[in-house]
Amino acid sequence: MMKFGFLAIVTALLSACATTPLDIQHSELDEARALIAKAKAAGAERCAPKLQAKAVADLYMAAHEYSEGNVHPQEQADLVASSTKAAKKAYRTAKNNCGAKPKPKPKPKKVEVIALKGVYFETNSDTLTAASVVTLNNAVTTLQKRASIRVEVAAHTDSRGSAVYNRDLSNRRANSVMNYLIEHGINAARLSAKGYGEASPIADNATVAGRAENRRVELRVQ
Amino acid sequence: MLRWFMLTVLILVASPAFAASIFNGVENRSQAIYADLKGNNSYHAHLARKLAAHAVEEKRQSDIGVARQLMDMAEEHARKAGGQ
Repeated sequence: MMKFGFLAIVTALLSACATTPLDIQHSELDEARALIAKAKAAGAERCAPKLQAKAVADLYMAAHEYSEGNVHPQEQADLVASSTKAAKKAYRTAKNNCGAKPKPKPKPKKVEVIALKGVYFETNSDTLTAASVVTLNNAVTTLQKRASIRVEVAAHTDSRGSAVYNRDLSNRRANSVMNYLIEHGINAARLSAKGYGEASPIADNATVAGRAENRRVELRVQ
Repeated sequence: MLRWFMLTVLILVASPAFAASIFNGVENRSQAIYADLKGNNSYHAHLARKLAAHAVEEKRQSDIGVARQLMDMAEEHARKAGGQ
C-alpha cells in the first residue's frame, strides 16, 4: 500500500513537471507564421531584428495559449494580432532597409599641390641655398595673389638615412620654408608646415635622378 | 515512512530539470540572459530577451512548465547570439 502511494506521488510530481512542447502549427497561426517567414526571407532578422524577434516570441506565446484550449480567448487574439503586426512591420522595414545601397563614401578631396621646383637646402640641413630665392619669391607672389587660400608647406626627403632622421629633417625644412614666406609678408595664420620624410616618394629612390625628384617642397592648398 | 519520504525527495532533487528549476530560478536565468546580452542587438539576442520576459511572466502566473520551456528556448537563442 505504501509502495503504491509512493509511486503515485512520484508519478504525479513528475507528470506535473512535463509540458507539451509549444506547437506553432495551429491553423489559427497560419497567417502569422506565413508573415514571419516572408519577413525572414526579406532579411528581417538582419535588418529589423527587434520587430522580427517580437513577431516570433508572440507567435510562441500564442501557440502556448492555443495549447491550453480556449481558456484566454482575448489573450490568444491579442498575441496573434501582435505577432502579425510585428511581422508585417518587420517585412516593410526589411524591404526598405536590406536592399538599400550603402551611402557612397565621399570621394577624398583632391588636394591642389603647388610644387616649389628649385628650392634647395644645404646637405643634411634646413638652411636654404641662395638658388632657392627665385622660387620662394614666386611662391610669395602666388600666395599674395590668391589671398584666400591656406597652405601647408610639405617637405619630403629621399630614402637615404633612417626614417626618423628623414622625418625630422623634412620637418625642419618645411618650417624653414614657412618662415621664409612669413618673413616676406605672408600671414602666418594662412600657413602650416609638415615634414613627410621619405613616406611619399614620387620617383624611384634607387636612382640618383629619382632621389633628386623625391627631395622636394610643395605647397598643399587646404 | 521517513525512508520513503527521503527517497522521494532524493529522486526529485536528482532530476536535473527539477533541480534546475529549484536551484536556478527562472528570474535568475532571465537576469543572466539580460546581463550576457547587454548591448547585443542581433535578432537572436532580441528573441532571447523576449522569450525570457515571457518566461518570467508565465512563472508569475504559476505556469512553471511553460516558463521553463520558454527559458530553455531563450537560452538557446542567447547562445546563438553569442551570450551564455
